[in-house]
Order: sequence, then C-alpha cells, then structure tokens
Amino acid sequence: MSYQRCLTKQQQTEITRIAIKAGQLLQQHGAESRLIEQTTVRLGTALGAQSIELAVSADALVLTSLFEGRCITTTRKVYDRGINMQMVCDVLRICVMAEKQLLSATEVNRKLDKLQPMKYNRWLVVFMIGLSCASFSHLFGGDWLVFGVTFVASAAAMFVRQELAHRHHNPFINFAITAFIATLISSLGVIYQIGNRPDLAMAACVLLLVPGFPLINAVSDMVKGHINMGIARWTAATLLTFSVAAGIFAAMGLMNIAGGAA
Amino acid sequence: MDLILLLLDDMFWAAIPAVGFAMVFNVPQKMLVYCAVGGAIGHGFRTLTMQFGLPIEWASLVATTLIGFIGLYWSRKHLIPRPVFTVAAAIPMIPGSYAFATMLGLVEMNAGGFTYHLFQTVIENGLKTLFILLALSFGLAIPSILIYRGRPIV
Repeated sequence: MSYQRCLTKQQQTEITRIAIKAGQLLQQHGAESRLIEQTTVRLGTALGAQSIELAVSADALVLTSLFEGRCITTTRKVYDRGINMQMVCDVLRICVMAEKQLLSATEVNRKLDKLQPMKYNRWLVVFMIGLSCASFSHLFGGDWLVFGVTFVASAAAMFVRQELAHRHHNPFINFAITAFIATLISSLGVIYQIGNRPDLAMAACVLLLVPGFPLINAVSDMVKGHINMGIARWTAATLLTFSVAAGIFAAMGLMNIAGGAA
Repeated sequence: MDLILLLLDDMFWAAIPAVGFAMVFNVPQKMLVYCAVGGAIGHGFRTLTMQFGLPIEWASLVATTLIGFIGLYWSRKHLIPRPVFTVAAAIPMIPGSYAFATMLGLVEMNAGGFTYHLFQTVIENGLKTLFILLALSFGLAIPSILIYRGRPIV
C-alpha cells in the first residue's frame, strides 16, 4: 500500500523512529537479540528503507536507516519492563503485517503506540506458582506433606515478589527478600519434621526465583553471535542468583538450620 | 508398565510448572496449552532417555532439541516467536536442586571450614548445574542455528 520507492527525509526519519520503537518494545519485554535485530530490519525495509543497521547493547539501542546514501541514526534507552511474551508476539505480528504491505507507516506507528502489556490475574499467578514449585518438590521425590509446605511457602513468596515489583523495588532486593520469606516458611517444615524429606521443600520453594529466561536468552544470544548481550544477560542472571542465595542464607541463619547439602 | 506409569506421572507434574512459569512470562492465553504440552513432552522425554542410561546433561540436550523442533512447527503454524513456547517448556528441566546444593555447600564451607567432602559436593553439583543449563539453552537454539541459519523463522 505504502511501498514508496522514494523517501523524503521526513519519511525516512519517521520509519527510523518506528523501527527503533519496535526494537525497544521487544527488548524491554525480554526478546532475544536475534529477534530484536531481525524484526527491526524487516520492519524498516518493509516500510521502504534500503537497509537498517541495529546495534544492540544491554541498556540502549542504536539504529541507523539508509536510503540512497542518506543515513539517519537514532538511539533509545531501554528500561527493563519485565518479561511479557504477549507484547513480543504482538510486535512481531505487526511486523509481519507490515511486511505483507497491509499497513502503512502511520498505521504501524499507531498500532505500536496502542499496545498494552497484558497481565494475568495476580491471585491466579500466585496459585499457579505455588502449585508449580510444589510440583517440583514432587518431581524431586517429596510426599504430599512436603508438597503442602512447598505450596504455602512459594505462594507466599510469589505474593511478596509481586508486591515488591509493583512498588518498583530493585530486582536484586526483591529476589533476596522473596527468597528470605520462602526459606523462612519452608524451614518450619524442617524444624517440625513435616513429611518424608523436609529439606526438599526448602530447595523447591525458591525455584520460582530461578532466572530461567535471562539464562536461556544469554546462551542463545552468545551462540548466535551477540556475545556482549549474552555476557550482560548471564551476569544479570548470576547476580540475581547471588541475591537469592543471600536471602536463603539469611533465613537459614535466623532459623538456625544447617541445611542438607552434606 | 511401570515405565509408562512413571512417565505419565513425570509428564503430568512437569506440565504444571511449565504453565505456571508461562503465566509469569505473560504468554498469551491461547498458547498456554502448548507450553503445557511442550513441558510434558520435554521432561518426559528426558526421563525416558535417562532410563536408557543417558547422562542427565545429554538427556537434557536431546529433550530440549526435541522441544526446539516442535516449537519450530508451532511457531510457523501460529506466527508466534519460538521462545514463547520453548522457554516455558524448558523451565521444568532447570537444575534447581543441583544449584541449591551447590550454594548450600559453599556457605557451609564458609561457616564450618574446608572439608574435602564439602568441596566434592560443591564441585559435583556446580558442574552438573552448569552443564545442564548450557545443554538446555543450546538445545533450544539448535533448530535456528542448524536449519534456519540467520533467516527469520516467522
């Protein structure tokens, strides 16, 4: 529809801004670097630019569009807004529609602006995460009592995590406090010897804090050539794990439990 | 028969965390069922291959490669990027208990002094954690580095 062979400077600026907005949305909601790069390039070229070059880094995106020897470069800061796959799906869908020439540049821009992150009902998530960690304790070989302890501990922890995230606390502080609460509750199982292996509840109830998405993204970035992004993600995930560890140890020290590692 | 029961139990209890974590990642509602199926197939397949004597790291690699290829099919069918299903499906295989044992060992070593037994616990569990994690994420990436090689999947 809007496939222009000739772009004015103004149109090219518009396209550059649209492409980087899509990239920014993808990175803020936890897409891997390859997907960010591919989507911005596809969107930009679909809207008429001759080529799009994107530099991805951990906290900013730099994008240059080229048309007939004219370069327009723009930079956007990227704030982490939490993993949201629904946003990633929607941005990609808009990109595919633009590629099939179903949308003009203005329409793409309007659609991107209208995207709203969908969130599940928080109590449903609390329940499901409690159930998930309890399933882990079952997979590790715990009985139904261990299952119950894990459910209570991790559901309470998930509630705390949501509350802290809602108040925009630093994720490292958030993870430490959440791990502290989860361990505190599940250590009661060890003190009163609830179930066949109460130590399994302590291991399973903190699994809601494993940074699985950053870790998997880190390796897939690195094997696909985005080494610096991979290292940044891996480091962030490691730091999160350390703060989880700090929370666990604080709780174990408080409850005076030796732990079952040895 | 025992094996089938074991597998069914395993797959059922692996599907729940896959859905639970998919909800934390805000996967669209229609796709949750694929996360559940993927999680069940992945964890079940890993348990099956481990029954035949494959070490856990290689079993994880094989299972996530399988999830990667299934995800490839779903992703092209629904025009949805692959990580939407595959990461949630791999979550049940994350080596949480190994990581936990590693950290506990480290702290006990700090508090109670170095013993070879503790050191052994830390090294063995730590290596397992690292290699399983690498296998998981590498397995998920295999379809795109082996077949698509830089071309977009959807």
